[in-house]
Amino acid sequence: MSSTPERLLSVAPSPAFWIAGIAYAVATAALLGVLAGKASLRKYAIGIVVVAWLAHAADIGWRGTQHVHPAQSVREAIGLLGFILTSGYLLASLRYRLTLGGVVVMPVSLVLLLVARLSPAGDAPEDLSSLGRVHISLATLGVGIFALASALSAMYLVEERTLKKKKFDALAFKDKGTPLESLDRLAHRLIWVGFPIFTVALVLGAIWVSKLGLSLDRPEYPLAAVTWVAFAALLVVRQVYGWRGKRAAKLTLLGFGAALLVLAIYLVRRMGG
Amino acid sequence: MSELFVVGISWRTAPVAVREKLAFREEEVADTLVALTRGQPVAEALLISTCNRVEVYGVAKPGADATGPVRDFLVQQRSIKLADIGDALYEHRGSAAVRHVFRVASSLDSLVVGEAQILGQLKAAYGVATTAGTSGALLGRCLERAFGVAKRVRSETLIARGSANVSSVAVDLAGRVFGDLAGKSILVVGAGKMSRLAAKHLYASGALRIVVTNRSPEKAEVLAREIDGVARPWAELEQLLAEADVVISSTGAREPILTKALFKRVAKARKWKPIMVIDIAVPRDAEPAIGELDGVYLFDIDDLDKVVAQNLAERAKAADHAGKIVEHEAGQFEQWIKTQGVVPTIRAMRSHFTKVADAEVAKALDQLARKDHSPAQQREVVQRVVQLVVNKLLHAPTAALRAGEDAELRAAVLCDLFGLDPDAVVSDRESQAAMDDTAERPEPRKVAT
Repeated sequence: MSSTPERLLSVAPSPAFWIAGIAYAVATAALLGVLAGKASLRKYAIGIVVVAWLAHAADIGWRGTQHVHPAQSVREAIGLLGFILTSGYLLASLRYRLTLGGVVVMPVSLVLLLVARLSPAGDAPEDLSSLGRVHISLATLGVGIFALASALSAMYLVEERTLKKKKFDALAFKDKGTPLESLDRLAHRLIWVGFPIFTVALVLGAIWVSKLGLSLDRPEYPLAAVTWVAFAALLVVRQVYGWRGKRAAKLTLLGFGAALLVLAIYLVRRMGG
Repeated sequence: MSELFVVGISWRTAPVAVREKLAFREEEVADTLVALTRGQPVAEALLISTCNRVEVYGVAKPGADATGPVRDFLVQQRSIKLADIGDALYEHRGSAAVRHVFRVASSLDSLVVGEAQILGQLKAAYGVATTAGTSGALLGRCLERAFGVAKRVRSETLIARGSANVSSVAVDLAGRVFGDLAGKSILVVGAGKMSRLAAKHLYASGALRIVVTNRSPEKAEVLAREIDGVARPWAELEQLLAEADVVISSTGAREPILTKALFKRVAKARKWKPIMVIDIAVPRDAEPAIGELDGVYLFDIDDLDKVVAQNLAERAKAADHAGKIVEHEAGQFEQWIKTQGVVPTIRAMRSHFTKVADAEVAKALDQLARKDHSPAQQREVVQRVVQLVVNKLLHAPTAALRAGEDAELRAAVLCDLFGLDPDAVVSDRESQAAMDDTAERPEPRKVAT
């Protein structure tokens, strides 16, 4: 095998990566400031998120020019996942006031970006076919959408608890935030969009694995199945039994937790070589 | 220079029994303003009369003291004696008046700090003054700036954050669960006065319908008519709860009527769709345990009071920051007023300079038009024009500088205005030019034509 894939995987982070990293950190601090009552910081905070998003896009684009496909490995896909998260956050911010959501999403995007760029590159996958790339791309997109739904569900749980426990002096109460019903509805819609994408990714992944003749007793497979089952169950109980609110939010987080574990296993295995 | 002033009475200085004596009806304001500006030493005036204040903002005629006559005018208009309102009338002049207007517009002088109503009232009062023709350049500028300051204060501080009364807090809490109340249904349980207020507030926020139920159907009918709702029998309570999004309860029952057992059935029937219960009855109508059920949000009167107190405390904190913004803006406005004093001088200076330059340029153009000139001759004409303009403009100041007793002071002012450094080395030619009295200089040589 030529040394090209190794070279590609070890492409150093671009200057845009550092800008994005710093902007994510500053945006988190600014959004925390808004939550703490510095209302005038809001417009700057959103501006900084836009800077982080642009820099993140530039970094992915720059890697593209270096022949590093955003879905060529789990490591790259994690970087793309962070980008999808930030994109979704910005889109939702056009309609809703998501200060608390930003405090959740920005650090997650930052961590994903850091893991994607600074973790050891590991070995190049020698057998990454187009089927593999489509599988990784769709799985990343699906998990990205689930991640957004999970961020909204986490916000729901925090806001719901604040309201139920009547913590009127909590930061989550001081910021007017997004209404519980909107958070619940938006998360549900996202799952409706993400679920078919994730399902196709799962099927393609199964075909890919069977083509490669890999063993089926790897731990990520049942975890991926748990993710799928959790979201499928969520859609069913919501539709049939009218589940919503706290129960739906918890189930969303359970499904996403399983998806995160799958990603973590892939990443650790890649780093381990 | 004309001076801004404020004369008035407010909740700070007088109870309502005194304030109402001086209050003006909306339709009286325009005529009062016209009478004020015609009969008193007042050049510009605005009158604001709300439940919490009656104030005249005005500009005195040049050199006049307007506040005394305005006090007398106000009491005469209301046919009361000055003694009737005692020391309640206050006045501010100059910078204190500017600060007061800015503070009022920013709701820092309001009974409930941060309330939004006063800004609208002030804008309306300004509109009346403008229509009546009693608002001029200075007062207009002051008010426009005050509106800008109010906007800044609202956007940069938390002064308007959080509701300041129980009904608004109920709407605010409902907004946290449902967001927009459009399409939502409100159920009023009991026909108490408090529930009427809260229901009206919620209904005004866009709720779809309002249903009233009460043990006594007659009272339910009366309340339903009053708040534009529908009365339903008490026996249907469980079904009504299943259909409602927000419940306001204020019955006179001694025992809880909204029990956990009832709400378990209701929550299931609703498929755990969120429902907010605002229990403003004492003793309480709702068992606290219903708040533990999924999708049920319960708040009692103490909760609402707690939020109001907390919001007011937040506003008081924000008022400090807002006060600094007002101070800064008032300082800038005063600076602007001061510069208005020198505007005529600046205009006269520019006009004089332009006139001198235009006259010399016209002469030169005339000269050039008479026949063809070589490039060297044209250059000479241009140089001569510039020299002539400079000489003419500097003649009077130079003469005055030499003749004046306070020559040194004038020289210092000139150095300051033109950024001159007398100690700097100047060329021989410039030194010579400076020594020559322009009046004694011969006319520059004319170009041969």
